[in-house]
Amino acid sequence: MTTKQKKGFEDSYVVEGKMALPYTYFAGSVGSKFITTVRDEKKIMGVRCPTCNLVYLPPRQVCDKDFTDIRDNWVDVGNSGTVTNFTVVRYDDKHMPRKAPFVLALIKMEGADTPFMHILEECKFEDVKIGMNVEAVFAKETTNTILDIDHFKPVAERASIQERNAGRKKWVADNENAVHGKQKGGKPDMSKPVIIAAALTGAATMRNQNPSVPYTPAEFATEAYKCWKAGAAMVHVHAREDNGMPTHDHERIRATYNAIKDKCPELIVNLSSAVGMGKTAEQRISQIIAVKPDMASLNTNTMNFSIVDRKTGKIFIEYVFENTFTMLQEFGKAMEENGVKPEIECYDMGGLDNTLLIAKQGFFSEPMNFNFVWGVAGGQAFRSDAFIAMMNAIPANANFTTCGVGTDQFPCIMQSCILGGHMRVGLEDNIKMPNGALAKGSYEQVEVAVNIADSLGRAVATTDEARAIMGLRKK
Amino acid sequence: MAKRVAIVGTGQTFHKSHRPDVNGQELINEAVQRALADANLTMKDINAILIGNMDHFEGINYVDCWSVDGSGGVMKPVIKITTGGTTGASLAVGGYHMVGSGMFEKVLIIGWEKNSESDTTGAITTAFDPIWDRQVFAGAISGLAAEAQAYMARYGASDRDAARVSVRDRKHAMNNPHAQLRKEISLEDVLASPMLADPIHLLDVCPRTDGACAVIMASEDTAEKICPNPDWIWGTGARHSYAYLGDCDWGRLTSMERVAKEIFKKAGIKEPRKELDVIEMYQPYSFAGLIWIEDMGIVGHGEGPQYVADGNTDMGGELPINPSGGVIACNPIGATGLIRCAEAAMQVMGKADARQVPDVNYAVSTGFGGCMWTDMLLHGKKKPN
Ligand SMILES: [Zn+2]
Repeated sequence: MTTKQKKGFEDSYVVEGKMALPYTYFAGSVGSKFITTVRDEKKIMGVRCPTCNLVYLPPRQVCDKDFTDIRDNWVDVGNSGTVTNFTVVRYDDKHMPRKAPFVLALIKMEGADTPFMHILEECKFEDVKIGMNVEAVFAKETTNTILDIDHFKPVAERASIQERNAGRKKWVADNENAVHGKQKGGKPDMSKPVIIAAALTGAATMRNQNPSVPYTPAEFATEAYKCWKAGAAMVHVHAREDNGMPTHDHERIRATYNAIKDKCPELIVNLSSAVGMGKTAEQRISQIIAVKPDMASLNTNTMNFSIVDRKTGKIFIEYVFENTFTMLQEFGKAMEENGVKPEIECYDMGGLDNTLLIAKQGFFSEPMNFNFVWGVAGGQAFRSDAFIAMMNAIPANANFTTCGVGTDQFPCIMQSCILGGHMRVGLEDNIKMPNGALAKGSYEQVEVAVNIADSLGRAVATTDEARAIMGLRKK
Repeated sequence: MAKRVAIVGTGQTFHKSHRPDVNGQELINEAVQRALADANLTMKDINAILIGNMDHFEGINYVDCWSVDGSGGVMKPVIKITTGGTTGASLAVGGYHMVGSGMFEKVLIIGWEKNSESDTTGAITTAFDPIWDRQVFAGAISGLAAEAQAYMARYGASDRDAARVSVRDRKHAMNNPHAQLRKEISLEDVLASPMLADPIHLLDVCPRTDGACAVIMASEDTAEKICPNPDWIWGTGARHSYAYLGDCDWGRLTSMERVAKEIFKKAGIKEPRKELDVIEMYQPYSFAGLIWIEDMGIVGHGEGPQYVADGNTDMGGELPINPSGGVIACNPIGATGLIRCAEAAMQVMGKADARQVPDVNYAVSTGFGGCMWTDMLLHGKKKPN
């Protein structure tokens, strides 16, 4: 066939043709395994180089960097990743994978070090950002190519707690005399929003155990803010020196408290009146009076407070945590007189009974707020029936929350949430996640608490609601 | 290296978007005749031919076989080199190796393309892995757009910064009768042209061009007899950078950085910004004119936009880039890299006419393509030590 040339070149003959060459192409032994895994298991696999630790996707036979043979070191890179780079293709061409406009993105899978090119759909162009989280959508029918992953789509971001709370009706106490946590017939009352607190450090958790433990005021502020973003209404704080030692220094405690309040003004801050080992009664209470936090811990019995190897029973640190009746009374009075709401720490039923005895003097404002603490070496370990006994022992209009040391943490807060109580998490009590991995920070444990609340259909309390529920002064 | 190598003659066609008046052999012949005339040599003097273009960019493959009518390769050794966008530069590097080895005294190097006859994206797509990349590949422009996006995200540059490069090259092209696009454009023209793939506008990218270029290299044994002031090749280099599209460091051209370091070190160039006199860069789109001069070591990372905006790379500036108008004004792909080499040689030899930069001691020419691949040649007036 010939076609017309342009004017002036009418006699220049041009032959028109088409090259359509059939071909076959072997994906290779490495590529074949990738494709069959995607096709049959909906799993995306890369290969790791044992020499330089890079995980390659697409998988390949040798490492680009060091020529190590890596073809058999398969690793699951997960089905989601982040956009490292993208463009919106706005011109059409018959060879394009989609009709323009469409988004072409480089996507780095969670477990891979090299991004790979794919198509991003199910999102608006203006919402595409470097760093956005995306997940693979697998093709319905296999083509035995990379298009067995049909495209990627944005991972549905869960609305933040603050957004979720803004979209629901605010909780108000409809019955001042409501019996805590229980409706008629012993059924738990989960209608109140659940208050999540994060104990950021305690006195003993150090950075060599978990690098996310904050020491400086700025670090406390950052951690507290992350916890608030994740859903915490309160943080519990033992201030630290730069070297990590717990401190009773008023200025340092005030600086830490103020840093948190500056970063996150509405967050409730609960200071420890224990401070750390070996502090005098004066050192313990004077800082509370000086700083006047929203809330402070009030400890209820003199007890062993030790560090013991949980497997062998060997004692590492022996210490008597002194909380005499006089201290319980004087600390409690001082707090109430200064507008600081006590959080009453009960390490066993004896401590709870001590408090109820002293409470007869009438200086505790209502409602009283109890924290059932489990797993301290010197206090009781978490047991479901003991929890219920303690809940039944507190005054009818009192609130209860709970925290547990180490592996007691998540079971005890889950029980509290079911029974209508509140939840405390944080690196003070436990440095790990439920799966045993180190927590990236207290905020990650707050996320677990939020999931527990979500599973039970309980709203997560805003800071305002938490203040109303616990009877705190207005911020 | 056994022999020092010089360029003793160059020839180019007058490049157009469409040359309906010539076929491949005829186009090639135009460039060959001009190069021979420039060097004052005849076909008898040539010991070997290197030729190349892009696979599938014309209705015919295997140019090494059928081109002998135009190239003069009958009964001579003919070798084809095709390496994607770098083809023309790879031809020059290959010619340097052949002459430098001492086994071929004079080598004729030809790069050509009759791009108007092809389905460009279709042809380029055949270069990508059918399993991994071809299914999601969206043409050369989309890949470059990914580079530009990454650079903008890392260094805060804008499409206006890049447009300045297009404006410069199109202005320079006014001095080059061989360039295809000889019409000045403004920043506003670039920014108002259609968006092809964010952030690349139509006027940010190179055109498709029909054209050919030929270069003759000779060893030190005859170079100065052929040509009173030949262009000496001080060094060449080539670097490949990825196996799959996602592997490279998007926003940086690592291959450029490596190859520049190697060549400048070999030549004893410590401050390329001050010691080089002109660069002919294979710069297929405007952002490359910002990013790759940083990778070449002319300015620091993120400093390209300001350096270009201040006019340093304009004619008359500190270090003029692309006096020919570069790739943005003219892109017969298989010839493009060799045109950079020929233009750099003309600058050193003092034959660049209206686009001549005064007193060129050192010039650099580059090639780009393949897998974010860079080729580079360092040209000099003095004979290398
Ligand atoms: Zn490796």
